[in-house]
Amino acid sequence: MNGLERFRATAAFQAADRIPAIPLVFGHAAVLAGVGLDEYLRDGALLARCQLEAQALYGTDAVYVYMDAFVETEAVGSKLRFGRDSYPEVLEYAFKAGDDPGRLVVPDPEKDGRMPQILEALSLLSAQVGDRLVIVSALEGPMTLVTQIMGMQDALYFAADHPDDFERLLDFATDVVIRYGIAQIRAGAHVPMVFDPSSSPSIVPAQFFREFLLRRLTRIFGAFRQAGAPGWLNIPGHIQPLLRYCPEAGVQIISLDYEVPAAEAREVLPTTVLVGNIKPMDLVLGSPEQVFRDASALCESFTGRGGFMLSSGSEVPLESRPENVRALVSAREEKE
Amino acid sequence: MSEHVGSELGLLMSALLDGDHACALAETRRLLAAGVTPEHIVTAGLESAMRQLDEKCTVEGFNLLEIMLVGRAVSAVVKELYPAGGPLPQGKATFVIATPEGDIHDLGKNIVKMVLTGKGYRVVDLGKDCPSQDVVDAAERESAAAVLVSGLITSVVPQVRKLRDALKAKGLEQVKVVAGGAALKQASAESLNVDYVAETAFDGARYLDQLVQARP
Repeated sequence: MNGLERFRATAAFQAADRIPAIPLVFGHAAVLAGVGLDEYLRDGALLARCQLEAQALYGTDAVYVYMDAFVETEAVGSKLRFGRDSYPEVLEYAFKAGDDPGRLVVPDPEKDGRMPQILEALSLLSAQVGDRLVIVSALEGPMTLVTQIMGMQDALYFAADHPDDFERLLDFATDVVIRYGIAQIRAGAHVPMVFDPSSSPSIVPAQFFREFLLRRLTRIFGAFRQAGAPGWLNIPGHIQPLLRYCPEAGVQIISLDYEVPAAEAREVLPTTVLVGNIKPMDLVLGSPEQVFRDASALCESFTGRGGFMLSSGSEVPLESRPENVRALVSAREEKE
Repeated sequence: MSEHVGSELGLLMSALLDGDHACALAETRRLLAAGVTPEHIVTAGLESAMRQLDEKCTVEGFNLLEIMLVGRAVSAVVKELYPAGGPLPQGKATFVIATPEGDIHDLGKNIVKMVLTGKGYRVVDLGKDCPSQDVVDAAERESAAAVLVSGLITSVVPQVRKLRDALKAKGLEQVKVVAGGAALKQASAESLNVDYVAETAFDGARYLDQLVQARP
């Protein structure tokens, strides 16, 4: 089986020759290649090259087309500042409390901000490895996009003080996610991963998720399913209170942060594919032996269940030790 | 009188815990007009509210929305009581807080500051992307009991590891170092060379409460 076949079989709870290994290697690929992060985050062709090199180094089953959490807000109108070796920061947000949500325009992925670079990376990777590796794109979920459009603090106050306008913003963000995600699928992504850290229970209560976010995620995953891609949701933190909503939202694959015990997720979600969840900091400070031991035990715990993909519980840190990432990937080899 | 004051403070506490900053501010003004001292409003109002919030905010029950709404209300009350921005009267202890150089995420830091201010501590905020030397210098200048660093990204680990030795080099070995934030909380205190790694803002505040209580 190649990586794509392995991914697809596992996603369908069918037999695979081994567990897919898909650690979330994003900017770490630039570090491995000795490329400045500021270049990697603005050049789709460079991103594609670095991803291929990282994949070849580690022998993973996936390449990731993801720049940073600010691609969408930049395309909407926020101003960013890039550092050579760090992810960008927002200098000026596109929306402020008091603005009219109706003035915001859904960006065109073919034209606006760095979205065209993302689509170029997807096209390049699709042409080169699209028949043998799973190509994962990633995009921000609606709550995260709202917090990136106006800043976390202002967005949370806005939700409390102006709930009607806040919902209009969420609807706008949902439209952005759907248009951008479908463009990614058309450009070659096998699966767009919806990354929505701002909907984590550590940010907003589970009731907030149920009342404001669930139906919008359902819309997003319905649109992606119609475009031929499975629904993959990634929310960091203690997401146990949200797990039971996943089937209703159309989530077929869910990433687990290192803080979520896999056993709990298995029990609540017997037919959902689980992805995770080695502690990211261990890839920096830990030893290969420790990472291998933890990853092996995790794989072992899924024996007989299937529907599991080995990964990091959140992004592989930029400065991760390559031998630790290799140890993570190699842990699944022992479980054939 | 004390029963009356307790009842009045109960209204303030409800407003604080509901995150209703407008109501909390109105209540504070009413209490001041009724002759209640700012010191009493802090100790019997703000600190009590923070204790209740602390009990509610377990690791799995902690959410930023609620904390920030309470924080906004607490800040409004503190600003009303001490418009010049001076230190709170208790003088229980001073802490220096910063997001280390290379990290521009300061929301976690701001939450910790709010919690500690609500508990009546003086917090010197050095902002984000802050060099370690500035943290050490501020600890000396402000006679801080502890320095607190919050990091969302793992690349700040080397700087955090150096803090304790840098403090020691200045003769400040009694100053504790507390780390927290999404990245740093994944590491042990030993691996970060700090005195404590806080799981949440309230967890860190509890450690600091104990630290201050144990001081001679």
